[in-house]
Amino acid sequence: MWFADLVGGVIVLLLGAAVVILSRQLPYHAEYGPGPGFLPFWLGLGLIACGAVILGEVVVRRTRYRGAFFQGGTWRVGLLLASLIAVILLVPLLGLAIGLGLFTAFLMRTVGRHNWALCGLIGVLTVFGIRWIFGSWLQLPLPTGILGW
Amino acid sequence: MELLQNLYTGFSLAVSPTNLLFAAIGVIYGTITGALPGIGSVTAVALLLPLTFTMNPTTALIMLAGIYYGVAYGGTITAVLINVPGDSSAVMTTLDGYQLALQGRAGPALSIAAIGSFIAGTISTIILMGLAPPLAKFALRFGPPEYFALAILAFSLLTAFEGRQPIKIVVSTLLGLLIATVGLDVVSGLPRFTFDSPQLLGGISFVTVIIGLFGIGEVLSSVEQEMRLDFLRAKFRLRDVFPTWQDWIASRWAILRGTIIGFLVGILPGAGATTASFLAYLSEKRLSKHPERFGRGAIEGVASPESANNAACIGAFAPLLALGIPGSATTAVLLAGFMIWGIRPGPMLFQRNADLVWALIASMYIGNLMLVLLNIFFIPAFVAVLRIPYTILMPLIVVFSTMGAFSVNNDLFDVWLMLGFGVLGYLMKKLDYPVAPMVLALVLGPFAENSLRQAFIISGGSLSIFFTRPISAVLMGLAILAYLYPLIRWAVKSVRQVTTAATDLISARR
Repeated sequence: MWFADLVGGVIVLLLGAAVVILSRQLPYHAEYGPGPGFLPFWLGLGLIACGAVILGEVVVRRTRYRGAFFQGGTWRVGLLLASLIAVILLVPLLGLAIGLGLFTAFLMRTVGRHNWALCGLIGVLTVFGIRWIFGSWLQLPLPTGILGW
Repeated sequence: MELLQNLYTGFSLAVSPTNLLFAAIGVIYGTITGALPGIGSVTAVALLLPLTFTMNPTTALIMLAGIYYGVAYGGTITAVLINVPGDSSAVMTTLDGYQLALQGRAGPALSIAAIGSFIAGTISTIILMGLAPPLAKFALRFGPPEYFALAILAFSLLTAFEGRQPIKIVVSTLLGLLIATVGLDVVSGLPRFTFDSPQLLGGISFVTVIIGLFGIGEVLSSVEQEMRLDFLRAKFRLRDVFPTWQDWIASRWAILRGTIIGFLVGILPGAGATTASFLAYLSEKRLSKHPERFGRGAIEGVASPESANNAACIGAFAPLLALGIPGSATTAVLLAGFMIWGIRPGPMLFQRNADLVWALIASMYIGNLMLVLLNIFFIPAFVAVLRIPYTILMPLIVVFSTMGAFSVNNDLFDVWLMLGFGVLGYLMKKLDYPVAPMVLALVLGPFAENSLRQAFIISGGSLSIFFTRPISAVLMGLAILAYLYPLIRWAVKSVRQVTTAATDLISARR
């Protein structure tokens, strides 16, 4: 896992540097006391220091092995993320409730390997559940698709 | 007398049919989610928080508090029956609870946990009643330097209590503070880190972040490992459930000691139920005349940590209500709820919103009573619910998280943010960065920054203000000690190792 720690340390370091640079565009001092750039500047410096310490630890304790970053089930993480992104992108077409219903059925089928009937049933119940709880009860303006749902 | 009068007012509000119904919903939902490995109290509370936006704050708070201590009860079920803690606060319960289940004594293990939790919850609520109002009165002396020092103490104690890689805890805290700075600066009105996005001008909602980090982040972590819950077959007939007389004798002091340890740890900002149960178990083992029984099915090994984790949940309300400083990630989410409902916890809460506070405290008695009954008489029903495959629950958690994030501003932008924070939460877990400090820093960030800026305005930009005012100096001193604690621990350990090596060498030469 040392490589992951190395990457983590570099990200923290770069993020800290970016925060310092961006905070320099904000006033450090205000008329009375610290300005809006004060805290972000010190937070950025703190992140840079932490990143340096993490990288130092990675170099010193290179042999500390704590498991692999990618595991046998990492594909399921990718699948879940990809399908959720697809749902959000397809909201103008499907609507949020139907999109999330399809998402539920799709994941149950692909990850859980449940039978089609159960996937379909839970998917439909999800659509009606969203419409009832969030649309009717909480009266949220749910984004609708071409079907008007 | 005033205390009893306040409690009476609290009970008269808490026993209204609506409040009773939502207390019941909270404790049942809390027990179920607490029993599900991977869904802790933070996720459980965060998922339902968006549903409470339009609710009466008292009812909402009663329900969310019920979820919080319901999780502590629920975590025991899987800890005893499948040797996997439903919530991290039940880790120590697995040691003896599962052994008892293997011996055919799952019923007494679960019921002693429920009864211990009930006793601990009731005693802790009494202590909370006595402690919180004077603490709030004392906090009236606090000014911006003291509040800033208190926030720093809360962050630093996480470093001392978490134990693992302190630098990663600091990174997590800094990230939380950084996210809290996004949006319009309240003093100057200038936008910070908004990148010309109008949606970011109001800042990043902590509800979105919390749902992403805990709801989506936990699902991503869990889906990676194929989760299968194999329950032991246990008898849950009424006569098999109750503890024996010997169990009572063995557990009575363990419950009381667990309660005291739990409450004391719970009121410390940054500690929490997991630390409390760990300390209670270790102290019980140390005090026992038969420490060898621990880990082999000692009933007091279940009673003590379970009492402690419930007492810690109640104890965590003391700093939240009296100081406005959350003691744990879950109380940080509750603080976020308070802010959404337009209520500011802290010293003035007991004066401005006395009804809400006392209704909440009264509901803790009622909630704990509901939980003990549920956890003794309805265990088979909970086990049946837990048999629902995770592959069905997982997409439903994502659906609920998505709808929760959407409901913050009725905007899909929050769903994208939630997704981004979900990935961040997953990566942080994978890379061993704790998420709780980030949540605490995110919620306390604006408050800490405002206090810091006000303190600097008072002192004319001098740092000495934090060290010359007595309360602030004590809090800052404690915070520095807590930050240095890992270093001190490492130094003591190194000195011990060197001394032992030197002693061995000398004795070998002789």
